[in-house]
Amino acid sequence: MTELLVGTKKGLMVLRGSAGRPLAIAGRAFAGEAVDFAMRDPRSGRYFAAVTHGQFGPHLFYADDPTKEWKQAEGPAFPPAANAAVERIWVVEPGIGDGILWCGVAPAALFRSADGGKSWALVEGLWNLPERGKWEPGAGGLCLHSICPWPGDAKRLAVGISSAGVWLTEDAGESWRRSVGGLVPRYLPEEARKDTHAYCVHNMHRAPRQPHTLYMQFHGGVYRSDNGGDSWNDIGSDRGLPSDFGFPLVIDPHDPDRAYIIPLKADADRVTPDGCVRVYETDDRGNTWVARADGLPRSQAYLTVLRQAFCSDGGKPLGLYFGATSGEVFGSVDEGRTWSTVAARLPPVASVRCGVS
Amino acid sequence: MPRMILSGSVREHAGGLGAVEVGGATAAAAIEALQGAYPALRGWIVDERGALRRHVKLFLRGEAIALDAPVTPGDEVHVVAAISGG
Repeated sequence: MTELLVGTKKGLMVLRGSAGRPLAIAGRAFAGEAVDFAMRDPRSGRYFAAVTHGQFGPHLFYADDPTKEWKQAEGPAFPPAANAAVERIWVVEPGIGDGILWCGVAPAALFRSADGGKSWALVEGLWNLPERGKWEPGAGGLCLHSICPWPGDAKRLAVGISSAGVWLTEDAGESWRRSVGGLVPRYLPEEARKDTHAYCVHNMHRAPRQPHTLYMQFHGGVYRSDNGGDSWNDIGSDRGLPSDFGFPLVIDPHDPDRAYIIPLKADADRVTPDGCVRVYETDDRGNTWVARADGLPRSQAYLTVLRQAFCSDGGKPLGLYFGATSGEVFGSVDEGRTWSTVAARLPPVASVRCGVS
Repeated sequence: MPRMILSGSVREHAGGLGAVEVGGATAAAAIEALQGAYPALRGWIVDERGALRRHVKLFLRGEAIALDAPVTPGDEVHVVAAISGG
């Protein structure tokens, strides 16, 4: 049985069925509310949903069964001294160690849970960085959307912030250093790039079997780091991509040389290029990219795929799933070679994660 | 004691009650008392800074009131979700 958690503008859709076939809506939670992100912690089996109520703000919920009762977590919420309020919950990521999870929010901040996600505390070290006053939001707000733990080392972590770059810690969040070497903010005039803080990271993931390897989709640019995020190498230019702008990114957890992106035409036109939906795969660390589009719409299809709306099932062969703001969800059970529509006519999709596969 | 009149999602987080009597001499104090009785409501009407959510309104005797507005025993304070969204 395959289970997808699809966060939409009008609730969480729990899709279930046989891999490679259309999935059915087995449950719908938070009807009418925006579910910005939903995932399952594979260690505990606990599900999480980040829900932004149109009137009553963002809240995090958890459940043992996503089709049944959800409970509200204690936080994430800023302590009084921070004089801030959570605007949106962008991501929940399992950490290293029993019960450890991380949560990224807007305005850009990181929260940590030590009780399996029931309660959350602000990571003060990142919040109190003196550079914070110079950070500026991207179009989606000043958001911390990517959290990359280091397998086997609970103290090392990388986070991606739009638009404040990559930040690394080696002491579990006490201290942080920015790491943007090699990134080129082409959206700024050349003379303004040298001292800028505006590094608009769109998505970042770490290869779990080779933790010093990370891949990044930037606001114009695709990058790879070979040294744990200390510096970045361009893998998007002149290598077969129709565009190096986009949001979604998946790494094959079994193969650090393999990654997938879904390019969009440009920052001013955030749709699939040429009306053609294509996932691009590299199996050589980004030296070359190949379109994987068999079964995807090939013409008159101008889709937008948001940053959290692409995932793998972690299996072997790798299953891949992504959703569009036009309400379709597509899936592949053969590592991207062929695709099919697994759900359609959903509300705009913000997030896709595999619950069970 | 003022009565907080609840509806929709807020009511769900107050055990399904449509009206709750609470203490407090201002709207803010009444909301704090309401949250104390129903912790699941914390963060829904006001954010963690204590600011009223942007799309939430409080009404007393037919008029929108601010958080520092005084309330007295017998007052009915309606917590209303603004008409917004898409």
